[in-house]
Amino acid sequence: MAELIRLENIRKSYGENEVLKNITISIQEKEFVTLLGPSGCGKTTTLRILGGFENPDSGRVLFDGKDITNVPSNQRNLNTVFQNYALFPHMTVGDNVAFGLRVKGMNESDVKEKVHYGLKLVNLEGYENRKISQMSGGQQQRVAMARAIVNEPKVLLLDEPLGALDLKLRQEMQYELVRLKHELGITFIYVTHDQEEALTMSDKVIVMNSGRIQQEGTPEEIYNEPENAFVADFIGDSNILSGKMVRDRLVRINGVDFPCIDGNENGFAPGLDVDVLIRPEDLEIHPAGKGILDAKITSKLFIGMHYEMLAQADTEGDFEWLLQNYDSYEVGSTVGLYVRPENIQIMHKPKTQEEEAIEIDI
Amino acid sequence: MTFSKKWSAPFIVFVIAGTVIPILSIAYYGFTSRDGGITLDNITAMFSANHMQALGLSLLLALVSTLVCLIAAFPMAMVLRDSKFGKQGFTIFVLILPMWMNFLLRTMAWQVLLERAGVINGILQALGLPRQEMMNTPGAVVLGMVYDFLPFMILPIYNAVMKIDSHLIEAAYDLGAGKAYVYRKVILPLCVPGIVSGITMVFIPALTTFVISNMLGGGKVNLIGNIIEQEFTVNSNWYLGSGLSLVMMVFIIISMVLLEKFDKTGEGTFI
Amino acid sequence: MKKFFGNLYIVIIMLFLYLPILTLIVLSFNEAKSMSVFTRFSLKWYGEMFHSKLILGALVNTFSIALLAALIATIIGTMAVIGIDGMKQSTQTVLMGCNNIPMLNADIVTGIALMLSFLMFGISLGYCTILFSHITFCIPYVILSVRPRMNKATDTLFEAALDLGASRGYAFRKVVLPELLPGIASGFLLSFTMSIDDFIITHFTRGAGINTISTLIYSEVKIGIRPSLYALSTVIFLIALVVLLVMNRNNIKNERTAA
Repeated sequence: MAELIRLENIRKSYGENEVLKNITISIQEKEFVTLLGPSGCGKTTTLRILGGFENPDSGRVLFDGKDITNVPSNQRNLNTVFQNYALFPHMTVGDNVAFGLRVKGMNESDVKEKVHYGLKLVNLEGYENRKISQMSGGQQQRVAMARAIVNEPKVLLLDEPLGALDLKLRQEMQYELVRLKHELGITFIYVTHDQEEALTMSDKVIVMNSGRIQQEGTPEEIYNEPENAFVADFIGDSNILSGKMVRDRLVRINGVDFPCIDGNENGFAPGLDVDVLIRPEDLEIHPAGKGILDAKITSKLFIGMHYEMLAQADTEGDFEWLLQNYDSYEVGSTVGLYVRPENIQIMHKPKTQEEEAIEIDI
Repeated sequence: MTFSKKWSAPFIVFVIAGTVIPILSIAYYGFTSRDGGITLDNITAMFSANHMQALGLSLLLALVSTLVCLIAAFPMAMVLRDSKFGKQGFTIFVLILPMWMNFLLRTMAWQVLLERAGVINGILQALGLPRQEMMNTPGAVVLGMVYDFLPFMILPIYNAVMKIDSHLIEAAYDLGAGKAYVYRKVILPLCVPGIVSGITMVFIPALTTFVISNMLGGGKVNLIGNIIEQEFTVNSNWYLGSGLSLVMMVFIIISMVLLEKFDKTGEGTFI
Repeated sequence: MKKFFGNLYIVIIMLFLYLPILTLIVLSFNEAKSMSVFTRFSLKWYGEMFHSKLILGALVNTFSIALLAALIATIIGTMAVIGIDGMKQSTQTVLMGCNNIPMLNADIVTGIALMLSFLMFGISLGYCTILFSHITFCIPYVILSVRPRMNKATDTLFEAALDLGASRGYAFRKVVLPELLPGIASGFLLSFTMSIDDFIITHFTRGAGINTISTLIYSEVKIGIRPSLYALSTVIFLIALVVLLVMNRNNIKNERTAA
């Protein structure tokens, strides 16, 4: 699939605050890409630069091979769904949806048809004459989508559009968005801090933090093979500890040796200090003494799908293990914890500032 | 959270004593005559030739002033919104300061400028140009009205413009609209409550003023406000004065009702 | 480019607003009475102004009436908001409608109506009638400033205080009143401003012996005390400038650091 959008070496600062520190992103046609990260990581700024509402301090924005860095937003062939919907309060639903079409000077009967089609697409058929103030949050969100979609943009930008909806509605809308993606066959660029959304809907997830890209990959790659502690911690529940490679495929964590599958082959040499990720659901609970290490259960919560428990091991370092299991184990009892080698994710520790500085100079 | 309704007692006293009774008084005088009988003469007097003339002139000048204020204020509000001209607070400060000068002093300032022996003529003379007769003309009165009431038009419109969510404007650009289209279809309609407020605060005082026409019109520009005022101070004909006032009151109520129709959201934006 | 014209426009409007005032200020320092010839720098008109019983009397009246009217209107208006809050919707609408009448009516009608009712009841016109009238037209501004702050958020805070064991009175004093305070303050300020600037209503309700600054200017403006009035304008301008600066110093400071 062809590359449709390219952000090259984008830098952006607001006063003293460097919000984007050299971002390069490539997005293919018809891809559903999510920019995922905590507040302040720069994801919304990136989206706004794409939309033409902000100019980067340096770097280029390429669309279909053409440099659009300085092209104003009203001339770019993309449309945005804003976080708070930004629906024109003085216009009806129909007029809102028709806005972009009327700007282009389309004749009224075509406009009417397209508006009808757009509203049908978002399951709001027949709502043309309603006032915005009469629509619920979820409905307004869909009007905002329809308003963007009817212009048949090549790319749809969505800035945390589901943030204001309750859980059930959000889940419904997530299905809707995926369905729309398949029906319209256009590129979606989605911004959110909700990792569940990112994992469910995207073809590709770009995790950002502090103005930098932390990792780029499919939802499975991001979840199962996070490259650093930040990504590991941000996505899903995790147990993250410091470890040291003993030798090829053996890592020592808190004084206990764990067989793993990473080693010399992928750059983890013996003696290297590393971060280790073990997902709670990958920790198998066996009778005490029958696992790799023993731990005492300190608390237990019933989550519905499973039990979530905390356990304290009698090892070096004070670490509370997070366990998820279908069975419940009594608080105070001691269990054996076992994890298969392939479920241990070894990650490089983040570079210190000095190491980074040296790298940049090189 | 409810407190005793008795807290509103002094207020109700003032409503009765300060609003209801005075209106009844003016109604009483409006519908009676010197000899004690009930009459409609005081009301119908408004439709006599010279009263209608004065009313007509008042309407004309008030409309012109309001229009000028509107045309001057709107771009001002727009530019203020976009500009970083020392940022908003400072500019508001500068706008409000003249409003705090007593409005008679402000009107007097124009006397000083426009009079035959005044500042502008002084400058003209110094440049060798002939003196102009600027005082005691309808133009001078309009100038005075615009000068006195302009801040009252700028502020509500400015408030309304500032309230517009910038995301709305971005959304309009995102959908392909050009600057003019955005102004026409998004910004202007959302300013309407502010514009209505502004018009109310200019048109009605302009229509009923007698001070400005007195100080800058010198008796040559006779507005309905002057006539009513004279009935009380010069002619001591309270009956006629009240009758004419009642007609003005109805007139104003009708104008306000018409204006409210434009402000469907019901938000005035002055306070 | 666009910015240049925009800023130019703002400057032009500002000039329009300020040149007349500045003219007065300049003339106040003119030795001669002439408006077109500046002979010499002189403070004599300031002297005349400060010695003029007429002017000083009017100043005292203006400010005392404004202060009293604003104070009383603020108290009555705030009390009204509290009382009205507990009434049923229909009564509220009626009262708020009555409240708006003085604001919507032209000053000339309000002034005449008040004057007539005073005279009908045999009340002679003077300081008190002026004060009463000012209070009457100030109350609506107070109510409109305070009422919006009597909202659901304030309700919730009040309930929280009760939940924590406070008596109604304590909760009101410690929780509700502070919430209303910004509205009370702006209502007071608005009333003060409206009262100081009022002419028409004062003109009708003052009777013969008493003057405020506005009525003084109106009656004396065609006779020769003009230059003293220029001095008066300058003084008032400076007072307004200082007061507004003080009030806005926080805002201006913040903007300087942000820019």
